[in-house]
Amino acid sequence: MIEKELVIIGAGPAGLSAAIEASKANVDVLLIDENQKAGGQLFKQIHKFFGSSAHYSGVRGIDIGKELIQKCEDLGVEIWLDSVVIGVFPNKQIAVEKKGKGLKTIRAKKIIIATGASEKVINFEGWTLPGVMGAGAAQTMTNVHRILPGKKVLMIGTGNVGLIVSYQLIQAGAEIVGLVDTASKVSGYEVHSAKIEREGVPLYLDHTIFKAQGTKEKGVTGAVIVEVNKHFQPIKGTEKEIDVDVVAIAAGLKPLSELANMANCKKTYISKLGGWVPLHNENMESTEKGIYVVGDTTGVEEANTALEEGRLAGVDVAAKLKKLSNSESENIKKQINKRLKDLRLGPFGEDRLKAKKKLIKEYNKYIKAQRPVNDYNTGPKAVIECNQEIPCNPCESACKFGAITIGEPITNQPKLDEEKCIGCGLCLHKCPGLAIFLVDKNYDNKNSTVSFPYEFSDLPQEGEMVEALNRKGEYLCEAKVLKIKKLESFDKTPIVTILVPKKYADQARNLSPIGAD
Amino acid sequence: MNNRINNHPILGKREEKEKVEIIFDGNKITAEKGEMIAAALYANGIRINRYTIKYNEPRGIFCAIGQCTDCSMVVNGIPNVRTCITPVEKGMVIETQYGLKRSGKTND
Repeated sequence: MIEKELVIIGAGPAGLSAAIEASKANVDVLLIDENQKAGGQLFKQIHKFFGSSAHYSGVRGIDIGKELIQKCEDLGVEIWLDSVVIGVFPNKQIAVEKKGKGLKTIRAKKIIIATGASEKVINFEGWTLPGVMGAGAAQTMTNVHRILPGKKVLMIGTGNVGLIVSYQLIQAGAEIVGLVDTASKVSGYEVHSAKIEREGVPLYLDHTIFKAQGTKEKGVTGAVIVEVNKHFQPIKGTEKEIDVDVVAIAAGLKPLSELANMANCKKTYISKLGGWVPLHNENMESTEKGIYVVGDTTGVEEANTALEEGRLAGVDVAAKLKKLSNSESENIKKQINKRLKDLRLGPFGEDRLKAKKKLIKEYNKYIKAQRPVNDYNTGPKAVIECNQEIPCNPCESACKFGAITIGEPITNQPKLDEEKCIGCGLCLHKCPGLAIFLVDKNYDNKNSTVSFPYEFSDLPQEGEMVEALNRKGEYLCEAKVLKIKKLESFDKTPIVTILVPKKYADQARNLSPIGAD
Repeated sequence: MNNRINNHPILGKREEKEKVEIIFDGNKITAEKGEMIAAALYANGIRINRYTIKYNEPRGIFCAIGQCTDCSMVVNGIPNVRTCITPVEKGMVIETQYGLKRSGKTND
C-alpha cells in the first residue's frame, strides 16, 4: 500500500491548481489522470479567457494549460498519467490502474476529486449516426487532433460552447451552416455570437433539429430543422432541409461525480450546475471528511472558476495537514474567494452564485443533522478505556488498519486514530483487560449501539431485551440485543451489541438479564 | 480526402510527424505516429468505428475524450478499445467492431 498525504483525481484546471497550491506548502501530492496528457480540456480551448488579470484574462486556455503543467513540474508534483482511478474506498483508500504497472492501492490523508464533466446530449431521429457528435468532440478533433470533423457543420445550441466551437470550426476551415436553438435569443455571450454572425453564419432561433439524415455506410449526409412554437413544439410545414456532414450538439455539460458517489459524498440536484452535484462547504470539502470536490465535478462552470476552486481545496488541505498556519491559509482563501465572487457576478454568473450558495447551505444542513453526541459520526468506532501504564499491546497488532498505536515502551497507553478506525471490532476480544468498546453514536436518529465482550454463561440471545448497565453496574435502561458475535478466533469472548438511547452511548458498558439482581 | 488542418491562425503550422502504416479491416492505411486511432481513421475518411449488437447501427466518434465508448473497435484482436484515446502504433491491426465481440463476423 502506497501512503500519500494528498491524492488528486483529475489533472484538469481544478486538479492542477489544487496540486500547485498544496505542493507550494510542501504537501506530498500525487496527481492522477486517465489521459495521456495533463490539462483536462484546456488544450482544446484555443480562445482567450474572460476575467480580470488575476484570472488569466486574455490568455488562451491552451497556454494556461501549459503554464499549470510547467508549475507542477517545477514543484516536483508526482503525476501518474494514463492511469485510471477505479474506486475510492473507506479510509480514503484509492485503487488505481496505473499505466503499465497494474493495480495499485493508495491510502491518502486527503483526497481531492476533480473529475470534470461530460457533454449532455439531446435525442432526435438519427442522433446516433456517425457524424453527429458533441460540440466538445468537434472541438477536440479540430484543435487537439487537428482534423476537421466535417466540411459543413450544423451546430445545435447557442450557449457559449456552441458559439465558441462554431467560431473555432470556422477558423479551422469548416463552414458553419447555421446554429439552432429553441430559445428566442442567443443563450451565450453576445460578443461570442457577434464573432460568428459577422462571418455570415445564420442563427436559427426558435428552431430545433428534427432529424439527422444519413446512411449506414456514410453516416450523416443532411439534417432537417424545424421552427418551434412557444411551447417548443415543432410547427408543421416549417421543416427545412440542410446539406451537412456533421451535426454538433452543444446542449451543456453534466458533472462527472461517480467517484464522489462511491466515496459516499452526499449530493443534490441543481439544474443550473448541470445536474447532480456533491455538497461541499466553503473550503470545497464534501460531506465525507477529508474528501474534497472541485471544478465541474461539483457544478459546471468555467475553467477559471475551476482553477479557483482547486486552489481553495489545495490551501485548505495544506492547512489541515498543518503545513500552513491558520492565518496564512485564511489570508490566501480570502483572496481566492474574492476572485471567485468576481467570476460569478453579472446576469450570467448570478445563477451560478446562487446555486453554489445553495450547495453550501445544503451541506451545512446535512452536517447539522448528522452532528453526533460527541465528535465522531461515521459508524461504530472503538473506545479504549485503558488509562494505566500496563505493559500490554495486543490491541495494537489486532488492528489491521493501524488505528491503534502503543509503540515503545510497551507501557504506553493505546492511542486511537478515529479516522483510521473502521469499527470492525476485532480489537475487542484481544484486549485482556476487556477495556475496548465499540460505540456507534448515530446508529439511527434516536439510538446508539454499544458493543462489549461478555464472558458469562447467561449470554443473551439476539433480539432479547436486557438491562443496560453503566460502568458501576448500575441500571440505565432496557436495551435490545442486536447482535452476538461469537467466533472461534475470539477464544470464548463473545461480543454483544446492544441498542441504547443516544444519551447512554457514553455510559452503557455492560448488561444484565432483565430482573436479575 | 485530406481533412488534416495543416495551417491554423492560432495554432500555427501543423508539425509533420513520422508516418506509420496500420491495417484497417485488412487494408493498409497511413497514420501519424502517436495520434489517436480514431483520429487516424477519420483522416483517412473512415468515421464508422463499430456496429451495434442489436440493430446493427453504425457508430462513430461522439465524445472524443474516452467517455462514451461509441468509437470502440477491435485493436490487435482486443475488442472494445476506446479508439479516441488510444494511440496508433506501427503495424497495428484495427477492425470495425460488430457487436461486443471479435469483428469480421456478423452480429450473431
